[in-house]
Amino acid sequence: MNIKEALSIENAYMAGDYDVAVVGAGHAGCEAAAACASLGLKTVLFTLHLDSLANLPCNPSIGGTAKGQLVREIDALGGVMGKIADKCCIQMRMLNRSKGHAVYSPRAQMDRSRYSATMKAYLETLENLDIRQAHITDLLTDGEDKLSVTGVLTESRAVYSALAVVICSGTYMESRTIRGEVVCLTGPDGLPRSIGLSASLASAGIPILRFKTGTPVRVNSNKIDFSVMTRQDGETDVPPFSFDNEMNGIGVPQDQVPCWSVWTTPDTKEIISSNMDRSPLYSGVITGIGPRYCPSIEDKFMRFKDKERHQIFVEPMGRETSEMYLQGFSTSLPEEVQIKMVRSLPGLDKAVIQRSAYAIEYDLVDPVSLLPTLESKIVGGLYTAGQINGSSGYEEAAAQGIIAGINAGLKVKGEEQVVLDRSQAYIGVLIDDLVTKGTSEPYRMMTSRAEYRLFLRQDNADMRLTPIGRKVGLISEERYRRFIAKKESVEKETQRLRDTYIAPTDELKVILESVGTTLPPSGISLAELLKRPQVTYELIAPVDKKREPLPMAVTKEVETDLKYEGYLKLEKEKIEKFSELERRLLPEDTDYEKISGLRLEARQKLNAVRPLNIGQASRISGVSPADISVLLVYTEMLKRKDKEEDNDNA
Amino acid sequence: MDLSELDNRPFCACSTPSGTAGIGVIRLSGDGSSVIADKCIKVLRAYDEKISSCSEMPGYTACYAQFKDPADGRIIDNVIVTHFVAPHSYTGDEMFEISCHGGSAVKQEILRVLERAGARPAGRGEFTKRAFINGKLDLAEAEAVMDIINADSVRALDAANSQMHGELSSRLVSIEQDLYEALALIEMIVEFPEHDDTPENTDKITDICKKAVSDLDGLIRSYAKGKMLTERMKIVLCGKPNSGKSTLLNAIAGFDRAIVTDTPGTTRDTLELQADIASVPVTVVDTAGLRDTSDEIEEMGIRRAVTAVSEADLVFYLIAPDEDISSVEENLVNMDPNKTKVVFTKSDEGDNPHKDEIVKLLSERGISDRIEISAKSGFNMDLFEKEVEKTYEAAGGLLSEDIMIISKRHSDALVSASDKLISAENAVESGLGVDIASSVIRSALDDIGAITGKTVSAELADTIFSRFCIGK
Repeated sequence: MNIKEALSIENAYMAGDYDVAVVGAGHAGCEAAAACASLGLKTVLFTLHLDSLANLPCNPSIGGTAKGQLVREIDALGGVMGKIADKCCIQMRMLNRSKGHAVYSPRAQMDRSRYSATMKAYLETLENLDIRQAHITDLLTDGEDKLSVTGVLTESRAVYSALAVVICSGTYMESRTIRGEVVCLTGPDGLPRSIGLSASLASAGIPILRFKTGTPVRVNSNKIDFSVMTRQDGETDVPPFSFDNEMNGIGVPQDQVPCWSVWTTPDTKEIISSNMDRSPLYSGVITGIGPRYCPSIEDKFMRFKDKERHQIFVEPMGRETSEMYLQGFSTSLPEEVQIKMVRSLPGLDKAVIQRSAYAIEYDLVDPVSLLPTLESKIVGGLYTAGQINGSSGYEEAAAQGIIAGINAGLKVKGEEQVVLDRSQAYIGVLIDDLVTKGTSEPYRMMTSRAEYRLFLRQDNADMRLTPIGRKVGLISEERYRRFIAKKESVEKETQRLRDTYIAPTDELKVILESVGTTLPPSGISLAELLKRPQVTYELIAPVDKKREPLPMAVTKEVETDLKYEGYLKLEKEKIEKFSELERRLLPEDTDYEKISGLRLEARQKLNAVRPLNIGQASRISGVSPADISVLLVYTEMLKRKDKEEDNDNA
Repeated sequence: MDLSELDNRPFCACSTPSGTAGIGVIRLSGDGSSVIADKCIKVLRAYDEKISSCSEMPGYTACYAQFKDPADGRIIDNVIVTHFVAPHSYTGDEMFEISCHGGSAVKQEILRVLERAGARPAGRGEFTKRAFINGKLDLAEAEAVMDIINADSVRALDAANSQMHGELSSRLVSIEQDLYEALALIEMIVEFPEHDDTPENTDKITDICKKAVSDLDGLIRSYAKGKMLTERMKIVLCGKPNSGKSTLLNAIAGFDRAIVTDTPGTTRDTLELQADIASVPVTVVDTAGLRDTSDEIEEMGIRRAVTAVSEADLVFYLIAPDEDISSVEENLVNMDPNKTKVVFTKSDEGDNPHKDEIVKLLSERGISDRIEISAKSGFNMDLFEKEVEKTYEAAGGLLSEDIMIISKRHSDALVSASDKLISAENAVESGLGVDIASSVIRSALDDIGAITGKTVSAELADTIFSRFCIGK
């Protein structure tokens, strides 16, 4: 449908002209809208319900392994998630402390309703952004050979024109929620669902898939006996998500709320097993594909039959509510079974459910139909971000949201698109995985998906990405100055530690022996000393007489960079090799059918995905290393010919 | 730009070694080869008299023909032309092989005429690259093809063939699988930190690394043997002047390579000979006799002899019947007892009177291997051969593997992988972090993958094809 056709519908009217329209105000949509507005574009953000903007319909937490890295990266680029999360944090922890700096992952419990309200309040202050509660039913397009977006149509017959459209429909498109045999036609959290948009995308030729995910029950804490549970307190020595806050000395809250953990009992297992026939997953009511890494509790018992029990976390939903979330207890069993399951848990025998668990099915776009910029290969100017692209998780959504927002904005401005590669950011890994490999289940970010995670740390996300955010226009002059000051400070302190030699004194001996290491035979630089696994920056403070007080953000980075120096060098070499393959471009018109050295499957997959370069080609499933060698030799022979032609022309 | 058309522009090169030989073979490959061939080649006699031009020849047939310069009709040579029809050729494209007389001028002229007729000179390894792009062989096979071409001895050929049939790969794949298990353990630990039901299997991770290091070590040591096959075992003959070194060299050669006289100090420079002893490719170096001399040239020769000894895989110290114990003592000072063997020469001229004393001295110095031969009469020459074989078999120590690494690239990759796994082990044991261990194990897997073909890099493909010469 084009704008003219939309306006010819009875009662339709022209409601506004925008540069960018963002459909959906979840974590992806909020980032996309904020990015576009900050880039100076006239932007409109549509949401099905204004009170559920930036909703956390599942766990009341942000961050975690790999996800914490994503939040730091979003912040480093100039995104909003980290800042809002810092304001609404009620508990903060650094996960993986014993497993190495590269996998340190910040994770925060959120005050759920405050998060939503704070995000709404923030977006409302943005000058170029209009926020509108509306139900978008159609994407408006035009064009002969290839379609381009021209706007959107609402259920109430309002037509908005837009030069670029970012759709972040989350789990709302044609969704249905399921509890046992009972199916409800709603979105998550009982909210209205999106109807019609999915069909509109399909009619434009966009491939549509269907996935399933789920959420656990919420209970009232007043009916819980916490004395039988394991208490888990937050930590106050963890930096906030936002680098800006960190540099401005705004830390995590001191008064934090505890979480609790319990184990399932033999009763839990028994209740679940005897009701498996009522599970919509196993009875066939649900056909969408669920997430492997965030399975429902019945899935866990079915798949790990030898495990007698599973761990459940009881997490607060906010400071002003008694509602608690049962992490790890997601289920789509009937409501009447859910209450029995909950009451089989220690301390929860009198629990009252406030919201029941459910599974939700929804439509999404096959991400292989996207460019690495998150623009559709099929409809020009259409961007998608978040769960519509097959991911799961708030952080994964926000990460795509900021990139889709930046690129939609740059497209309208006629500027070059931004693509982060796998060596630059977890965001790059996430998007490359989705658009290159596609996904057969909701995609969760994990640190193991990143090849260069010694380099992609949460502590250096600003070093990696803030210059890019600045170039794009999301980082203010003032913030950039602070960043440069931090960078110089890191470099200066690193050099000072390299240049400072200390003698093997008795004082040093006592310090070193206290952590189980030995005194070096002769003088040693502080940098060398820091390379020992047991030695920390803090530990050697007494012998480092000339040390000046520096922010933890600086000292932590200095310490990690020095400690990991040799390994980082090795990883940089790997990145260089990786980049070389990324730089080997594959001509857009390459006909892979004609390269007979490629295996049949590879020829088909390459023709379908049409990778931009050999690096991307190497990550397509069904393309083997042998096929890549063929492409390497092929492009190298092309290169030689180009050179010959240049010589001929010269 | 129509890439495929450009790709198939015919290219040509001489595929036999440069210099003068009995015959030379020139290859012409690519779509349109027959157009070029028809311009320059006049068929004189084919198996079917109806065939009057190269383009009419069926695949796998040959003809007798005249190669002419179409510019002036001048005859360059009478040749045999073999036609290969795509895809049934080495490259997978249409090909001609022109067998001409082996003089340099003839070969150069033919190439010049082909190029003027529309062919371009082939790049290094380009015939094999085309074969590769056309799916005629994979990268591992391409590399093995190179080793087979370069194989100078039966043992080297066997090793190259075993590699082509994937025996090394299957050993490495099992090491890879162990390492993947270690990675999976690390990921479990890292990804689900909230859950205390994932035990930290750090011992298991270090055990896997240790085992992989020991497996790799066996393969790495086998390169000591493999290197001798590909780069030849270097055998140095040394000893006092006139101890029979040159006579022995000539006996090995089967002809008079070195000048032999009764005058001590006849050989003033090092002389080299390539030969096959016990199916091991060897370079035998004859050296100037060791003695104090005022002759400047002879002294330079002696210095070279000393250098040769230090670089040798195997040193034979030759003792003639008239040598006394003091000179043996003096000359053996700088010899590595592990690679030195003693030869009592000229056994046809009688025993050395100090033999018992000398043997005692040798055993004090740790040299136990000694033989008595007469190169002149051929007496005990088979013992000499046995000593060479013994050195070859002992190279790299006792090997648990029956697989041998013959390529320096493979050996380097495995050494690098092994070093990394040791550092992964240390990272886990010292508590530096499993994140580092996983990064380093992944790097080690990349190294191993460069042999098994799982790791692709631009560099690797280039390296493999750059080993080929122009005409292959």
